[in-house]
Amino acid sequence: MVNIRLMEKKDINDVMDELLRLKRLNSEFDFALKVSSGNENEIINRLNKIIDDREDHIILVAEDDNKIVGILISDILFRIYYDPKYEVRIREFYVMPEYRGKDIGKMLINKLRDIAQKKDIKMMTSEFPSLNLIAINFYKNMGFKELIKIYSKIE
Amino acid sequence: MIMKDSERTEYFNEKAIEISKKYKGKIRNLPKIPIHSIDDFSVLYTPGIAAVSKKIHADKDLVFELTGKWNSVAILTDGTRVLGIGNVGPEAAIPVMEGKALLFNYLGGVNAIPIPLNVKNNDEFITAAKAISPFFGGYNLEDIESPRCFFLLEKLQKTMDIPVWHDDQLGTASIILAGVINSLRLVNKKKEDVRIVFNGAGAANIAAIYLFEAAGFNKKNFIAIDSKGIIEPERKDIDALMLNNPWKYKIALDTNQERVKGDVKNAFKGADIIISASKSEPDTIKKDWVKSMNNDSIVFALANPLPEIWPDDAKESGAKIVATGRSDFPNQINNSMVFPGVFRGVLDARSRGVNFGIMVAASYGIADYVKDISYDHIVPSMSDFDLFPEVASIVARKTVESNLARKIDTQAGFYRTASEIISSNRKIYNKLFDK
Repeated sequence: MVNIRLMEKKDINDVMDELLRLKRLNSEFDFALKVSSGNENEIINRLNKIIDDREDHIILVAEDDNKIVGILISDILFRIYYDPKYEVRIREFYVMPEYRGKDIGKMLINKLRDIAQKKDIKMMTSEFPSLNLIAINFYKNMGFKELIKIYSKIE
Repeated sequence: MIMKDSERTEYFNEKAIEISKKYKGKIRNLPKIPIHSIDDFSVLYTPGIAAVSKKIHADKDLVFELTGKWNSVAILTDGTRVLGIGNVGPEAAIPVMEGKALLFNYLGGVNAIPIPLNVKNNDEFITAAKAISPFFGGYNLEDIESPRCFFLLEKLQKTMDIPVWHDDQLGTASIILAGVINSLRLVNKKKEDVRIVFNGAGAANIAAIYLFEAAGFNKKNFIAIDSKGIIEPERKDIDALMLNNPWKYKIALDTNQERVKGDVKNAFKGADIIISASKSEPDTIKKDWVKSMNNDSIVFALANPLPEIWPDDAKESGAKIVATGRSDFPNQINNSMVFPGVFRGVLDARSRGVNFGIMVAASYGIADYVKDISYDHIVPSMSDFDLFPEVASIVARKTVESNLARKIDTQAGFYRTASEIISSNRKIYNKLFDK
């Protein structure tokens, strides 16, 4: 039985492993997303910092029998110019291969929505590589639509 | 042994170049209809022939009855993985395709035509392949790199109304299955129980995994290995596989129930069967790995020209049955046992397609054909000519049962048709070359 809960300190190593899997997946889509090596300590520091900062981040894990099988890391953003005034932006989102196709991604998104609503945040956004058709289909099915494009150039 | 092989290889190489220089091509079009004078062309060609065109225009399926479509196969390649020599392009693939066309004709009585394609990507290949379909009753894809070959086969099988075959995948997988069926009969083990290691995850072994599943083997007892090691769902490159080779990705998720990881030798422990299509080097499979297998182990070391382990070494390490890709050892696993009969069968039934069910039937047909099975005789050999009509009739009949056939007949009827076509074709050879 898969359970969705907020990330805790004990999850850090598993979450980092899945973050690196996500980044390697992203690197398949574009050379500008090539994964740098030897950055484990920085990732751990960063995770340690944001776990405690529940004002600005919502971090979820999907857990099956003490095993982390999916992660969702999001930032709460203030929108100076727009209404609604707050949005929650999904930055990192990954489900382990064996657990795909079992609605775990949907459960993570729904849990995020519930927690955000308690904070009176009604808008959810997500970022991912432009060529990731699997993500595009997933979010479209969840009722999301394309909002902003990011263009890149490396000199 | 290695020295002798290399000398023989050298001889074959020189002879092939000499013959190609002399004959400048291996096949040609010959008339099927007698021509007595130029007047005959009023019927063979204009004006009479327009009446035949009108008939086909009114009922397109008549093209199978009134033209050569029923017996014509296109051998399609982009030249990206020619034999063991790699991506040499469509022109350099022609000598190989001509040889294949000759085999198709000599063994199966099939009118096969090399169609090397100058294409840059999958979409261009698909477009070209679809465009040339009117004259052909079947397609054989040949010497196309992996994973492109999986994509092209799947796409063409889905969209064409004729059988599409990729011999490097399906032909090889079918003869492997036939060999394994007879091996299991000899060691008295059940397909549902056996643990199989597929060493190498190229076209043949990936197709074999899917075919074995279709034949009723338990895929949870399979372990697949590729150049990066044991395939399992937590391997670091698994998401890259999901995007670039979904066929291998699915295998990662569906096989290896015990989640064996790490060193390749872990996979061999307790295995009943090894199907190896891997590096052509006799120490690729270690003797110790074979020793760690279950009792009465079965080793298929199929790399060419050098098997992954020499048969003597495998037997010394406890293997009961050993097969290789070579004709100078017992049990040669050779896809030429399969494709002539399969194509004869689907063509004679005017089939709309070919599938794993038909292939499983073909494999059992090939296995059953060997009456006196023994550890050194699990598959037929190239000289077993009546194998081909036998396989053809089983395939054609299975095509009827799968609702793919345009032409219905009994198995005995299909057998008569196939052996008539093959033997009258053989007579043409005898006349052509004054035998």
